[in-house]
Amino acid sequence: MANHTQFGFQDASSPIMEELIEFHDHALMVALAICSLVLYLLTLMLMEKLSSNTVDAQEVELVWTILPAIVLIMLALPSLQILYMMDEIDEPDLTLKAIGHQWYWTYEYTDFKDLTFDSYMLPSTELPLGHFRLLEVDHRIVVPMESPIRIIVTADDVLHSWAIPSLGVKTDAIPGRLNQTSFVTTRPGIFYGQCSEICGANHSFMPIVVESAPLTYFENWSTLLSS
Amino acid sequence: QSFKLLGFLDVQSVPCARESVLYGSLGSLVVGLGHFLATSRVRRSCDFAVGGFICTMLGYWFYCRYNLAQQRIRQRMLQEGMRNRILFEGSYLDPEKKQTGNERSNS
Repeated sequence: MANHTQFGFQDASSPIMEELIEFHDHALMVALAICSLVLYLLTLMLMEKLSSNTVDAQEVELVWTILPAIVLIMLALPSLQILYMMDEIDEPDLTLKAIGHQWYWTYEYTDFKDLTFDSYMLPSTELPLGHFRLLEVDHRIVVPMESPIRIIVTADDVLHSWAIPSLGVKTDAIPGRLNQTSFVTTRPGIFYGQCSEICGANHSFMPIVVESAPLTYFENWSTLLSS
Repeated sequence: QSFKLLGFLDVQSVPCARESVLYGSLGSLVVGLGHFLATSRVRRSCDFAVGGFICTMLGYWFYCRYNLAQQRIRQRMLQEGMRNRILFEGSYLDPEKKQTGNERSNS
């Protein structure tokens, strides 16, 4: 989860998020180069006398057409690569459904029999010591680590959005529509997210918690919950 | 506390950023000063200094990120190799067993 003064991304917990952070750093470096150039040109312009002597400037026109095109290509190529990478759904080991309601999530593990539960935020009054305010839920989603997981997201009433920043996942939950996304957790842990589409009074109070655990723990948990 | 160049680039936590900016500054100094010493033109030397900064910074950035990407790929291959070795060591799927088996049959 993010700390209270955090401005940048959370640490990546999936390969896609690692790629997104890499691309973000690359884009920022290009932005730094452009900003330095623009700052320098602005300073120059402020020190120059105004004149209207320039009539023909073929060379500079060529330069300031070709250079921005090269910069755009430098940004577009990795961006498109990641975009297509995010759309790959490669034989998931587990499929689960996330259904948004006002104001809680329902999760269905239809690969197993009768594994469905609601996930409500824990109110601050019931929060155990050391747990995170407005982020903890009564029932977490447990997934096996290092396994491709497919999530089918939909909603029951109004628009919601299922998002977990550290996994690089954000998918709109639209009533009457099934949206598909997938992720792979690279390490065991607990990953927090929040509803990301305004959905009413308690929009800020329907968090998402994914617990990534080794396969044996996941099997024990699913057996316990199914029974 | 992180230091953000121009308010947005966190040079301490972004890999290769600090070196890129430092090498860029060095390149800018070398190119700008060199041009001034050769031509004694201040304005044009400043232009070359800024150009040198951008080119050196971006040049080192791409070189460093390419090496970093290669390192990450090698790390992942190593991780997977170690995991496979732990899983398959001694079994019929052990790649080392297959290799020694081939060597024996060849000899």
